[in-house]
Amino acid sequence: MKLTRRGFLGWTGAVAAAAAGAQTVRAIGDLQAATYEAELPPRGIEGWVASVCQQCPGGCGILVRTITGVEDGVKRAVKIEGNPHHPISRGSICPKGLAGLQALYDPDRLRGPLKRTGGRGQGQWQPVSWDEAIATVVQHLQGLRARGEAHTLLLMAGQVRGLMQSLLLRFLDAYGSPNYLSTASGCEAAQQTLLLTQGIAAPIASDLENSAYILSFGAGLLEAGWSPVRQARAYGHLRQGTPGRRGRLVQVEPRLSVTAAKADEWIPVRPGTDGALALAMAHVIVSEGLFDREFVEAWTFGFEDWRDPAGTTHLGFRSLVLNDYRPEAVSAVTGVPIQTIVRVAREFAATRPAVALAERGAGFYTNGLYNRLAIHALNALVGSIEIPGGTVIQRRPPLTPLPPVTRDAAAVRGLAAPRIDGAGTSNSPLASSALPWLPEALRTGSPYRPNALFLCYANPAYSVPEFVRSPDLLDRIPLIVSFSPFPDETSRHADLILPDHTYLERWQDDPIEATWGPAVLGLRQPAIPPRHQTRHTGDVLIQIAQGLGGAVAAAFPWKDFGEVLKGSLRDVAGTQRGLIMTTPFEEARQRRQADAGFWLPTYKTFDEFWSQVAERGGWWDPAYSFGDRERAFRTASGKFEFFSQTLRQRLETLARRGPASGGGLEGVLRALDIRARGDRVFLPHHEAPRFVGDEKEFPLHLIMSKPMSLASTRTANHAWLAEIPDVRTSRPWEIAVEINPETAHKLGVKDGDEVWLESPAGRLRLRARLYQGIAPEVVHVPFGSGHGAGGRFAEAWGANPNRLVGGEADRLAGTPALFATRVRITKA
Amino acid sequence: MARWGMVIDLDRCTGCQACVVTCKAENNVPVVTPREAQAGRLMLWMTVIPEVEGEFPRVRARFTPRPCMQCDHPPCVKVCPVQAMTKSPEGTVSHVFARCIGCRFCVQACPYGVTYFNWQAPTWPKDLRESLNPDFAIRPTGVVEMCDFCHHRLQHAREEARAEERDVRGEGEYVPACVQACPARALIFGDLDDPNTAASNLAHSPRAFRMLEDLGTSPKVYYLKEG
Repeated sequence: MKLTRRGFLGWTGAVAAAAAGAQTVRAIGDLQAATYEAELPPRGIEGWVASVCQQCPGGCGILVRTITGVEDGVKRAVKIEGNPHHPISRGSICPKGLAGLQALYDPDRLRGPLKRTGGRGQGQWQPVSWDEAIATVVQHLQGLRARGEAHTLLLMAGQVRGLMQSLLLRFLDAYGSPNYLSTASGCEAAQQTLLLTQGIAAPIASDLENSAYILSFGAGLLEAGWSPVRQARAYGHLRQGTPGRRGRLVQVEPRLSVTAAKADEWIPVRPGTDGALALAMAHVIVSEGLFDREFVEAWTFGFEDWRDPAGTTHLGFRSLVLNDYRPEAVSAVTGVPIQTIVRVAREFAATRPAVALAERGAGFYTNGLYNRLAIHALNALVGSIEIPGGTVIQRRPPLTPLPPVTRDAAAVRGLAAPRIDGAGTSNSPLASSALPWLPEALRTGSPYRPNALFLCYANPAYSVPEFVRSPDLLDRIPLIVSFSPFPDETSRHADLILPDHTYLERWQDDPIEATWGPAVLGLRQPAIPPRHQTRHTGDVLIQIAQGLGGAVAAAFPWKDFGEVLKGSLRDVAGTQRGLIMTTPFEEARQRRQADAGFWLPTYKTFDEFWSQVAERGGWWDPAYSFGDRERAFRTASGKFEFFSQTLRQRLETLARRGPASGGGLEGVLRALDIRARGDRVFLPHHEAPRFVGDEKEFPLHLIMSKPMSLASTRTANHAWLAEIPDVRTSRPWEIAVEINPETAHKLGVKDGDEVWLESPAGRLRLRARLYQGIAPEVVHVPFGSGHGAGGRFAEAWGANPNRLVGGEADRLAGTPALFATRVRITKA
Repeated sequence: MARWGMVIDLDRCTGCQACVVTCKAENNVPVVTPREAQAGRLMLWMTVIPEVEGEFPRVRARFTPRPCMQCDHPPCVKVCPVQAMTKSPEGTVSHVFARCIGCRFCVQACPYGVTYFNWQAPTWPKDLRESLNPDFAIRPTGVVEMCDFCHHRLQHAREEARAEERDVRGEGEYVPACVQACPARALIFGDLDDPNTAASNLAHSPRAFRMLEDLGTSPKVYYLKEG
C-alpha cells in the first residue's frame, strides 16, 4: 500500500477517533515508519577504510564509512570521520575533510578523458579513449624532443608531495625540462626563512601545544593554516589541556580574524610592517637584557658586531635593532602603541617557552621574506629553537629512494636550458619556482616559448592574479594537458583533460611536510572503487613515459603507481624505528620499550607491515630529539644566523655571474628592489613595502584570507561549505568585502550595499559588510569562491579577489605579493 | 539510567564549524539554495553563533556552538499536539517525523531556535544522493526536524551493549557526530548522572553555565566560559 502524506493524515484521524490514548499514537508512528522506508538510502553492509584526507595540505588521517548495498551490491561512501590512530588528527576532522564526500560525489566531476573541440576556454569537449588521449600526448612530446625543445615542456603543480611529486620531477628529469612550476607560493617563502637562518630548505614547524606563549604574525592558526585540525587540537590543548595552566596567544594582523578573535590580545598593525614591529620587540628584549644569553652566545652568529678574516667590521643584530628600531619610531610606522610593543616584548621574553610565528599575513608583501626573517629572529633571541614549545623541523619518513635516472642526450640538452621563470637568477635568487614571472615569459616569448603544459592540481586561471585576468595568455602554449578531476578554470583552456581519481578513490603516500617534528607517513587508499572512467595520474605518467620509449621509458620501469608505492615503503618497514599508527596507550607502551632499548615490531615481513599500514592508516616515528642543534643548524657557521651568510653568498654569486644584473652587488640589489645597503641587506630589517596603486586615488589596502571552509580552491563546489563560508559573519552563500564602519560612513556605504571594489588592475562587484574588526585603511575579501568554472555550486556564489591583485612580488623570495594592492570603493 | 548531556568549552572552541558539517552529513540535513537561505530557511541542527562587540581597535568576537539544548523541561514537548516531540526516559528529546503534522508549535515554543521546518522536499543532485546516511530517514515537506543528540548512534551503542548484556557506558561508547569530529575537543559528551564522566565533572565546574537558564528549561547542554 502506498500512502500519501495527506491520505495518511486523514487515516490517522480515523484511527485516533476509534482508539484514544498515547499507546495507539505510538503504534501508528511505528506503522508509518514503514511507509518512509522507501525514502531511506539503500541499506547494506558497513565497512570502514583508513585513508588520508587531501582537501588541504594538513594530511589528516580519516576513516571512511562505506555501505555496500544488499540489493545492488554497490559500495558507497557515506561518512568521513577522523582516524583515532593518526597522530595528526587523532580522531578529529575539519569541515573540509567532512565535505570530501561532496568531492567524491561531485555531480559535475569529469567522467573520463576529454578532447577539446571548440575554441580555447569555450568548454566544448568530446570524450576520447584513454589510449587515444595518451597517444596524442606522446606524439606531441616526441616531436618536441626530436626538435631539441624538450625544455619547453612546463609542469605546473599545486600541493603535490611524496612519491607523486617525485614522479613528476623524475618525468621532467628524464624527459629533459627544468620547468617544474609550483603554485604553492606560500610554502616557498616559508622554506626560504629557514634556509637563510638555519641552512635547511624546509618550512618552519612548531611544537604549538607545549608552548606557553604564541606570538603570531598573521598566521591563520584557526583558519586555513598548514594543518587546521592539528592547529585546532594544539589550540585546545594550549588553553585547557594542562590543569592550572592556560597558554597565551597574541595575534598581530590588520583585521580581527578568527585567530585574532580567539587570541588573548589582538594587535592591529599597518599592512606590511610586521617585520618592523618584530624588530622593535627585539629592541626591547635586547636593550632590557631579556634575551636568552646562553643560547645567543653559543648558538647564534652575527648578534654582536663582528670582524671577518679580512679585518672588516660588520654590523651585528644587537646594534641594528638598538639603533634603527626604537619603539617610538616603529610605533609611528606600524600604528601600534609604544606601550603595547614594550609590554608584549616583555611578556614574550619572560614566558618560556614562547614561539613567534610568521605566516601569510606577514609574508604576502613585497618585503615578505625580510618580515619572516625578523619574526624568526625573535625565536632565536629567546632560544625557542629546537626546544619543546618552540620551532622544530619536520622529519621525513625514510622512503626507499627511486633508482637514479639515466639521462639521454636530449634530456641533458633540455636540462641545460634556463628555467622559463628565471627562478634562481636575479628574478628571484632564492626561489626554486617563481610563478610571478611566468606571464611575462609567455607574453614576450623570452627566454623561450613553451610548447606544452601539464597541470597537476594547479589552477592558475583562478589562483594566479595575472592568469585570472588574462587566462588567454595560456592559449599561446600549443598543448595543454590537465589532470584535474574537476572542470576548473584552467582546464577549460586545456586541449586534453585526463582526469585523475578523487583522493577517496586512489592509492597514494602522504608524508607530512610542515606540521611538527616527528616523521609521519599516511597511506591514502581507495574508499570505494573509481566511480568513473578516470585514471591515476601516476599511472598515466608511467604510460606516457613508456610511450616515449628510450631513456624516458627506462626511467619508468613500473607497471603502475601501486608498484612504485609498495617498493618505496620497503625501507620504512626495514628501518627498525617507528611504529604502525595505533592507540595512544599502545603507543606509550611501545615507546617505553624503545626507551629501554627494545624495538619490538608488530610485523615480521613486509607483507605484514603493508597490511597493518593499510588497516591502521600509516606509519610514524614518535621519537623527536629536541635540542639536537647540530641537526638544526646547517649554515656555514653551524649556528643560527642573524647575519645570513647564505644570503650573502647567493647574492654575491649572482653579482659575479650575471651580465643581466650589471654593476655587481649594487646591480643585483637594484634588480631585486631592495633598498637597504651594506650589512643590513643580510640582516633582518624593515624594507618599506611597495604597493600597487596611488595612495590618493586608491586609499585602501586590500587583504585576503582563506577561511576554514575554503582552504583549497576546489572546495567552493561543496554545498555544505558554501552554506557556512565564514564563521565571523555567518552568512550562507555570501562572500562580502569587510569595511570598517568609520570608513564606510565616509563613503556613504551602508551594511549590505552593493559596491565596486576597484584597483589599478581590475574591479569587482561585491556586497559590503561593516565590521568593527578591521583597520579603517584596510578592506578584506576572503579567497576561495567566485569561480568561473568548476561546477554548479562553485559558479553560483562568491567573488575572486585575485582579480584585483596587481603585479607586485617579493622579488627576493620569488613569491607574489598578494596583499600589496591598493583599492577604492564606490557605490554600485 | 544514563542522563546524556553535553559540555561545550568555549575556551577550546575555535569556530571551525566541523560540528556543523558533520551534523549535516550524519543526519542527511538538506542543503538549501542561496535564495532560500536568504529567506532564513537554512537548516543547521548544529550551528555556530558569532557575536562581535566593541569598536575598533578594541573589538572582541565570540563563537558559540548551538545544538539542541536537550532540556529537562522541554517547551517543545509540552506544546506538541501529536506527541511527535518526545522526551525519552534517558532525557533525550527527539522528534518522530512520522507523527509530525507540521503545526510548528514547537518552532514557536523553543527559546533557542533549534527546530527547523521543511518548507520544501529535500532534493539532492543524483550523485550526491549516493552519500546519504542509511541510518537516518530523509524528511519530507511539512515536517519539523531538529538535533536529537544523534539518537541513531545511541541505538547502535545500545544494541552492542545488549549483546554483551550490560548498559551503555557513560562515556566514550556513544557520542553524537559533532562531539566525535571536534578538532579542539571543545565538545564533551557523557552521562551527567555518572560522577566519573568528564562531562558531569565539567558541568559542575565554576566556569559552567547554561543558556537562558532563568527560563526554567534546565538544558542538558552546559557551556564553559572562556578564561
